[in-house]
Amino acid sequence: MTVPFKLVSPAKLIFEGEAELVIAVTTEGEEGILPRHAPFLAALKPGLLRANIVENGASRRLELATGDGFMQALPDRVTVLVDRAVTFEEVDVAQTRAELAEASDPAAAAFARAKLQLTGHH
Amino acid sequence: MASVKDLRDRIRSLKNTQQITKAMKQVAAAKIRRAEAAQKQARPYADALGEMLQDLIATASRIDNPFMNPGKAGAPSGVILMTSDKGLAGAFNSNVIREAERYRQQQSGAHLYTVGIKARNAVRRWGLGDRPAWPLNAPSKLQTAHEVARQVAADFTSGEIGDITLISSKHVSMMSQRPEVRRLVPIERKTAAPKQKGPRGWVEIPPSAEFVLSKLLPKYLEFTIFSAMLETDAAFYAAQLLAMNNATENAGKLIDELTIAMNNARQAAITKELLEIVSGAEALTGT
Repeated sequence: MTVPFKLVSPAKLIFEGEAELVIAVTTEGEEGILPRHAPFLAALKPGLLRANIVENGASRRLELATGDGFMQALPDRVTVLVDRAVTFEEVDVAQTRAELAEASDPAAAAFARAKLQLTGHH
Repeated sequence: MASVKDLRDRIRSLKNTQQITKAMKQVAAAKIRRAEAAQKQARPYADALGEMLQDLIATASRIDNPFMNPGKAGAPSGVILMTSDKGLAGAFNSNVIREAERYRQQQSGAHLYTVGIKARNAVRRWGLGDRPAWPLNAPSKLQTAHEVARQVAADFTSGEIGDITLISSKHVSMMSQRPEVRRLVPIERKTAAPKQKGPRGWVEIPPSAEFVLSKLLPKYLEFTIFSAMLETDAAFYAAQLLAMNNATENAGKLIDELTIAMNNARQAAITKELLEIVSGAEALTGT
């Protein structure tokens, strides 16, 4: 069973399709959403967003490092809003380490940590 | 009457001007497409954000967020004045700036924050000193919007300003851009929740609707500023396209007029020379 899932940033629609499971890091901790979840709305902190998505009948894992955001689950759809999101391929580990070292803004530091976590370098 | 040589020089210089305006018109046409695409890309986010806000406000039993309450009484209005960085777009920027001047007089003074170099220059001309200023076209508009929102939100909560108002251009159509004054904060319940499709019933909002709202409202402010920046961009290029199109046409008209004047002058000179020759010959044979 799947649920329509949408991941958007102000710059673009990152993903729109069907998902079996969506896991995001809310301010209260990790939250997994399955299809037909009761209405739910929470703020997200920078962290990993993981989803099992179904494309052309095949199940695939979607993993992104995301910035601040919000997640809304309704029985018939899941929407995640984030400031920014990067995939594993987009992370430059050396550069991210530098960002983390220089970051004065806690949100920027948390996002840099999320990126390192995505690459397994934390 | 100007000589043929003078006229020819003027025509040549006008043709150069026309080439420049024509090139700028083509560049504007290409950029407007990109600006409008960026606006379209931001729409899904806007829709989703609006919907979440609506849900939250419907669910929260009692809203006690500073952004939804009136600001400090007697504090000046906080105005974000947004223009483009560059000119050559007709009255595009001056319309917005004039609107801001009018607003400032109505409110008898306002705290200004500027986005766009033209806005910053205007505020300096008014003799208001150095107000916080950001360029419209930074590498990341999102980052700029984030900084602007953080600054105005901090000044609003500290009571330095009594509201947050945005004065920017509305991109009505390719032919028309209009300055628009929008009150961003305090957010009215009505504007935040336009169409209530009936409550969704119970919604789980950890830890509380209040808390999520306190996160969402600053984001809403930030995103509104971001989308106004995208709109200003699109409107600017539309205005520039129109202005450069007019300039190209006007140059063409002038070239036509001057060409006729030049032909007349040349013909007059030839006629005069012929007359001199003929009358000289007449004078010789006549006697």
